[in-house]
Amino acid sequence: MSAFGRIQNLDRRIIFLTVAAAVILPLFFPFRLPVAVTAPVQQLYDVIEGLPAGSVVLISMDYDPSGAPELDPATLSIMRHCFSRDLRVFVMGLWATGVPLGMRALETVAVGEYHKQYGVHFVNFGYIPGGAIALVNLGADVHDVCREDVYGTPASEIPMMEDIKSAADFGLVISMSMGVPGSDQWIYYYHARYRGNLATAQTAIGAPKYYPYLQTGQLVGLIGGMKGAAEYERLVGNYGLATVGMDSQSSAHVLIILFVVLGNVIFWMEKRRKK
Amino acid sequence: MLMTEGIWVWIAGVLTLAIYSFLYKDNPLYKIAEYIFVGLSAGYWAVYLFWNFAYPNLFEPLVIEGNYWNIIPIVLGFMMFTQLSRRSAWLVRFPLTFVLGVSLGLQLIAAVEGDLVPQIIGTFSPFSKGTLFHTYDTWTSIGYIALLVGVLSTLVYFFFSREHKGVFGGIARTGVFYLMIAFGASFGYTVMARISLLFGRVYFVFHDWLGIIR
Repeated sequence: MSAFGRIQNLDRRIIFLTVAAAVILPLFFPFRLPVAVTAPVQQLYDVIEGLPAGSVVLISMDYDPSGAPELDPATLSIMRHCFSRDLRVFVMGLWATGVPLGMRALETVAVGEYHKQYGVHFVNFGYIPGGAIALVNLGADVHDVCREDVYGTPASEIPMMEDIKSAADFGLVISMSMGVPGSDQWIYYYHARYRGNLATAQTAIGAPKYYPYLQTGQLVGLIGGMKGAAEYERLVGNYGLATVGMDSQSSAHVLIILFVVLGNVIFWMEKRRKK
Repeated sequence: MLMTEGIWVWIAGVLTLAIYSFLYKDNPLYKIAEYIFVGLSAGYWAVYLFWNFAYPNLFEPLVIEGNYWNIIPIVLGFMMFTQLSRRSAWLVRFPLTFVLGVSLGLQLIAAVEGDLVPQIIGTFSPFSKGTLFHTYDTWTSIGYIALLVGVLSTLVYFFFSREHKGVFGGIARTGVFYLMIAFGASFGYTVMARISLLFGRVYFVFHDWLGIIR
């Protein structure tokens, strides 16, 4: 068997091992490549910067633990930005599995870092079932959809809810999304009816779909995957998991590009040899 | 090195390694982890959806508040199960018709209002009188031209009532290039997503579980 033939029939486990090495080694030997901030992330940052103190930012936790490596860093950074600007945060989730992630993020940032008071500076309504239908109703009457918070307290007894009646009371809505229901529903069913500022943070796999919505103005910002989260961490000056992960991302990407090029070269040479 | 003493972190760590052991070859450890995941997911969702969805929205208003309108969705919901028997399977058409009707009504408007119209406006509005190369800088303007060419040529590619030959074929081929760029971008983002997932697990193993890295 020729050298090319051997490479062509390479045991795939060797490729797995090299990818694992490319991800693991930068954790022990970081090389800290610079993270350039892209326009969609900067736009979201600027919108939050422009909101007056006391404005309400709705963060919808539309993901599950499998999306956490990409979306948790973005959630934490956005919350840090909001609380540092004295904005109030309204958390809910179209995914049931997003609820504990939202609670953990609030516990870390709102309580642990900024010592904010529940019900005054932030509130968590947990899982909101119904997807699209819930969003249609939410924009018209928040209290109709969010009757009790995640701890069972009626919305009427939560001080922050006195100022929140309808979509017009949210300065910004951000969907932290990894699928359906998620950003699609926020764009089609909420923004199409009630307008206002809508942004999204996406897992990388879903991000390309949402760039056209930036151009049309339906989205005011987009955080795409761990890279987008690393950009936001840089903007808020709090370097976390996404920034740490960028070295692993970069080295794995270089490796995969090399594999793609190598695979194509071998394919092309084999084709030539057979002719 | 600060290896965690938390039992759940240990369980999560061992299960993570069990799942990744499949990359070497299929094995009983992987099977155990897979079955645990499927069983836990099914149980979690069943309980969660009942207590967070069905109970507060359906059963609680019916039993406690006396909202008897809720009997209708309950009956429709149970009618979904009639398809389990061949004799009563025809009854499933009623809840399905309801679901289809609501979905169609919601999605039709949403697709037009939220997607089709804004995207058409977004594609053509930069070409309104005097905006291109005046309101927008040179590169942004070129970008909008490329966008329009891409939209039109891709649409031509998906027009199958005429053979893709001559000028028409050339435009369609341009559309193929745009599609290839789009697929390439999607592939790149997909790779990034998968590496992120791997990184998440690797970081968990070395940071949360083994405590090797800070």
